[in-house]
Amino acid sequence: MLKLFESEIQDIDLLKDDELAVDIKNLSIKLNGKKVLKDISMRIPRHMTTAMIGQSGCGKTTLLNSLNRMNELNQHYSFSGEVWIEGRNVYSKKENVARLRTKVGMVFQRPNPFPMSIYENVCFGLKIQGMSERRKLDDAVEKALRNAALWTEVKDRLFDSALTLSGGQQQRLMIARALALEPEILLLDEPTSALDPLTTLHIEELINDLKKRCTIIIVTHNMQQAARVSDYAAFLHQGELIEYSDSDSLFTMPAKKQTEDYITGRYG
Amino acid sequence: MAKTKLNHQQLHAFSSITSGFAAALLLITLIALVIFISIRGSAYFWPMTIYQVDFTDTFKKQTSTYQISAWDKEELLANLNSRVQSQFVNQQTEAPYFRINISQDVFQVILKDGKVKLGKLVSLNSPNGVSNNFKDFEAVQENVKLLLSSLETIQFEQMAPLHERLSQYDKNQVAEDAPARLRVLDAFFLAQEKSNDLQIELEKYFILFEDAQKHQFRIDIRDIEAVYQPNEMEIFAELEYMLERIVQFLGDSPKQAATSGGVFPALFGTVMMVLIMAVLVAPLGIMAAIYLHEYAPETAFTSFIRISVSNMAGVPSVVYGVFGLGFFVYVVGGTIDSLFYTDSLPSPTFGAPGLFWAALTMALLTLPVVIVSTEEGLRRVPGGLRAGAYALGATKWETVTKTVVPIASPGMITGLILAIARAAGEVAPLILVGAVKFAPSLPVDGEFPFLHLERQFMHLGVFIYDGAFHNQTNTQGSAMMFASCLLLLIIVFVLNLFAIVVRNKLRNRYTR
Repeated sequence: MLKLFESEIQDIDLLKDDELAVDIKNLSIKLNGKKVLKDISMRIPRHMTTAMIGQSGCGKTTLLNSLNRMNELNQHYSFSGEVWIEGRNVYSKKENVARLRTKVGMVFQRPNPFPMSIYENVCFGLKIQGMSERRKLDDAVEKALRNAALWTEVKDRLFDSALTLSGGQQQRLMIARALALEPEILLLDEPTSALDPLTTLHIEELINDLKKRCTIIIVTHNMQQAARVSDYAAFLHQGELIEYSDSDSLFTMPAKKQTEDYITGRYG
Repeated sequence: MAKTKLNHQQLHAFSSITSGFAAALLLITLIALVIFISIRGSAYFWPMTIYQVDFTDTFKKQTSTYQISAWDKEELLANLNSRVQSQFVNQQTEAPYFRINISQDVFQVILKDGKVKLGKLVSLNSPNGVSNNFKDFEAVQENVKLLLSSLETIQFEQMAPLHERLSQYDKNQVAEDAPARLRVLDAFFLAQEKSNDLQIELEKYFILFEDAQKHQFRIDIRDIEAVYQPNEMEIFAELEYMLERIVQFLGDSPKQAATSGGVFPALFGTVMMVLIMAVLVAPLGIMAAIYLHEYAPETAFTSFIRISVSNMAGVPSVVYGVFGLGFFVYVVGGTIDSLFYTDSLPSPTFGAPGLFWAALTMALLTLPVVIVSTEEGLRRVPGGLRAGAYALGATKWETVTKTVVPIASPGMITGLILAIARAAGEVAPLILVGAVKFAPSLPVDGEFPFLHLERQFMHLGVFIYDGAFHNQTNTQGSAMMFASCLLLLIIVFVLNLFAIVVRNKLRNRYTR
């Protein structure tokens, strides 16, 4: 039993290329003239949950945003390096950014539902992709809401405003909204930082379920949460990747002194 | 020892009292304005009492009698005294003497051309006989209305087409004695005969009237708009009179040099101008604001544009008028004329002030209002919403049209309605670019192309400006100006109220 469990979580360096969801190569990013990420290389395995931890301002969110090119919304932005997702360099000139973002979904720190009905929120992305057949949309909405564990709560009020939902429900709606597009990768940017502990637990369970469907990359400040939900974990400090390994080793016997200090709460 | 400096608490009390006082003063001023305009304006619709004024000229030792309508006896007396004293000021004589009484059995006859006759009814004459009872008047007037409508039918549906056919024959040089031409001519004369008979018949309906000097004269019933007995009116009759006058005010043209009648052409012109302006300014302003806020990078150039927009809002409106006249009318309009209307030159078509140039000038004038409030609306859209749309694979255009614009729509609508209210009340630039004190025809009629953008038009603000100058001495005329002010005030208030309601409705829809 133990052997089986160990074989599931491989060592990072032993991963083969076809087991990777994301391959980041020498990525450096400057925002407003300040170097935020310095020469990051990371191999993120498919259908696993990878956590990014580190102090505020260490570049976790920037790294996450660089995977679906959300950084480009910032005007003063420059980068170098490559990000390979499913065999394509997403920073190549030919890449269709809008299409990339449907494949790499994202959930933000604060729930940001559109001021429309719950139903409209979930099918927003699908409609943009050109799906207009009512029955297909209905099915997709139901499936997405079920996968986000929200269906039973909202199935009778699908056409109420999404703004009438509670904070936890809104955040799950955000996950459903992203899942509706059936992304290969789901980026979660501190998804529970604005939620209470019980709702947080809900979302964490949801993350464990979602692993079967897509690769999850989560940024979190909460060390316990990172240890609970992640298979792999990366520790960033001032724009540099200090340590990256499977969560068990990172949280129980970190290789670097800095990581140990951060995990045990000596700074940060 | 007394402290010279105020302590913190005193300062607080002082500031709250002064600011409260300022706010109260503002409110009182506003309410006073509205009440003043409402009272003076609604007086126009209220029936005036008819007074018999006996004027004794102590210099010439003569007494003469007049009938004058007025709302208030004291005001009438003051008015009369001031008028007469100015004549007698250099003559060392006794001041003239007035005696004012309410007239009995007196009628107020309002003619169709806006004139008002006061006096006693001597007799009501119709082919059926002579009557002294005014109660028969309505039945007689009904008869006259029927005759008039049949006359109109003959003139417009029989004579006019025949006349047109005849002039066509003239054009085609059909011989004078061609049988077709003679047939048409016969029909025409037949119709003319019928119409003459009707005219003669109509002249048999008239009333004999006697004024205060005991002069008798006749008034054709076909010329009469309405007859009232204001001194004998009960409250319901007064209300009915008021309602009739309001309907006339809104639906009729100004008469007797804008001292009676209605303001319909001015109201219509205002609405037309404002609508065309809205059509011009809405897309331009909203697109400019969307570009500035969503697309333009933050450079020195965009901040220069922003500063220019704010400065545009501060440019005196008459400067816009001069610009509109100099550029739109003379340059653009003149060019259009020389390219497309060469037939009618040298008389200008678009090269003269007109409805379209006025609307365009006002669109320019209200552009800053629309841009600023649209940008305000766009600024209210949370940044997270844009990021959310992008993260779901929306392009910039989809993000703007599907999430940003709907949420910013309250701001856009508010800006548009504020612009409309501004344009409805503006005067100075309009005088220069197309609003006139009297326009012979409306900018919309049954003649192709139905909407005549090159025509001059009437505008409520210009109407008030013009009338207020010329009617200072005329009680009835100045009352009409106040009534027009009241109407303008109501229009602007209603528009603002509408803006608030729409904004709140949309805001509720898009934020919880």
